[in-house]
Amino acid sequence: MSTVANIFANYYQYFLRGTRTTIVVSLVTVFFGALVGCVIALLRISKFKPLSAFAKLYITVLRGTPLLVQLYIVYYQLNFIHYPSGQFLGVELARVIPCIIALSLNSGAYVAEIIRAGIQAVDFGQTEAALSCGMTYPQCMWNIVLPQAIKNILPAIGNEFVTMVKETSIIQYLGISDLMYNNGIVVTSTYNPLPCYYISALIYLTLNIVLGKGLNIFEMRLKQSER
Amino acid sequence: MNGNVLFDIQGLKKNFGEVEVLKGIDQKIEKGEVVVVIGPSGSGKSTFIRCLNLLEEPTGGKIFFEGVDIMSKETRANLHREKVGMVFQQFNLFNNLSVLDNVTVSLRKVKKMPEQQAKDKAMALLARVGLADRADSYPSQLSGGQKQRIAIVRAMALDPDVMLFDEPTSALDPEMVGEVLKVIRDLASEGVTMVVVTHEMGFARNVATRVLFMDGGVIAEEGTPEQIFDHPQNPRTQDFLSKVINVI
Ligand SMILES: Nc1ncnc2c1ncn2[C@@H]1O[C@H](COP(=O)(O)OP(=O)(O)OP(=O)(O)O)[C@@H](O)[C@H]1O
Ligand SMILES: [Mg+2]
Repeated sequence: MSTVANIFANYYQYFLRGTRTTIVVSLVTVFFGALVGCVIALLRISKFKPLSAFAKLYITVLRGTPLLVQLYIVYYQLNFIHYPSGQFLGVELARVIPCIIALSLNSGAYVAEIIRAGIQAVDFGQTEAALSCGMTYPQCMWNIVLPQAIKNILPAIGNEFVTMVKETSIIQYLGISDLMYNNGIVVTSTYNPLPCYYISALIYLTLNIVLGKGLNIFEMRLKQSER
Repeated sequence: MNGNVLFDIQGLKKNFGEVEVLKGIDQKIEKGEVVVVIGPSGSGKSTFIRCLNLLEEPTGGKIFFEGVDIMSKETRANLHREKVGMVFQQFNLFNNLSVLDNVTVSLRKVKKMPEQQAKDKAMALLARVGLADRADSYPSQLSGGQKQRIAIVRAMALDPDVMLFDEPTSALDPEMVGEVLKVIRDLASEGVTMVVVTHEMGFARNVATRVLFMDGGVIAEEGTPEQIFDHPQNPRTQDFLSKVINVI
């Protein structure tokens, strides 16, 4: 235990710097992942066959291959893009942007399935009733189905966010100095890996507990505004 | 052509995949008629009335509503449905909306009626079915009978030219059947045109101006309530009636 405290006392800047990167990348990814997820979900429930087939394929591929493989494919496939140079909160943009793209595309597939399941959980009779009242399909979605689906969707999206925070740890492989990357630096300088991993585990856990609490409060607010 | 014809249905067919559920139905439904559809389970009664507001897309034949071919590409289903109210077996109230909003939502979103006007109209209709005091409740707080009366009000709010009922009392506890049938009976006596699928034979006999007996995707027999209930000609009608009357 004392070694854990010792190492943290001596190397805390590394852990904090890494944590900051992990938080920033997670937040940005969660945002774009939700965006991608909404678009894919829309395509998925579209009545136009080619669009829904594309969305289905997208979801199958992105959920059926390892995130790390996707990360490398995106990194090398998109190497023709000239990403903006410079840094944001100590993170090199040219490296982190492909990571965010890969993570968002991956997260989008899961979010899309969450949204679709949430929509399907709203009983179809209400859709038929809305249509029979003269509503168009978008009016029915907007006024009747989505307000109910959101209650199924938000908790599941919360879980997806928590997963995302943990999964960002793979971006260390592209040399992004996130929490795990900095963990590696400390391991190399102390020759004492176990305490370092305990520290990182604690930090991830703390992040996700805070995130979980935040989501809980958000859900409560939402429920209160319902009635 | 008779100017009072609302629905002119010609050779209506509906397939679900390989299965032909409606095998050619010819009917004219006139303004002011109360058409009651009876028949065994699976005979196609629901499919038939769902075709009338295009919740099912017919696969053959023609349906004219007020002279307009509703199956043509030019007809917008949502505009047709504004003129055709529908009440479902499972009520299908909007669970995210209060009773009042259940009734006003289509007035506001579809008819673009101002909020206050929609509210006044809804409250007047709710008062007629004795539910004005439940305007701020949510569907989950209501009994089945109350839900169905509100579903009827919701459909009536758009001033439809015809009302469709698909077994409106089948999902209700027995003690609530009466309150719902009374509302439908009142509408009938006010001259609202309606097509009602029901297993309530007493109700059918009382309110129907015409009874259709469906069997195997066709209308096997039709006539006045007296003709169908007292002197059925078709053996299948006789058989069906003997079974349902025995049950009661
Ligand atoms: N969406 C569907 N897909 C496939 N088959 C269907 C579908 N809807 C109805 N059917 C079939 O069509 C036939 C007629 O169904 P329908 O619901 O119209 O009968 P019904 O007379 O209303 O029966 P009930 O009294 O049980 O409500 C049934 O055999 C049913 O299984
Ligand atoms: Mg039926």
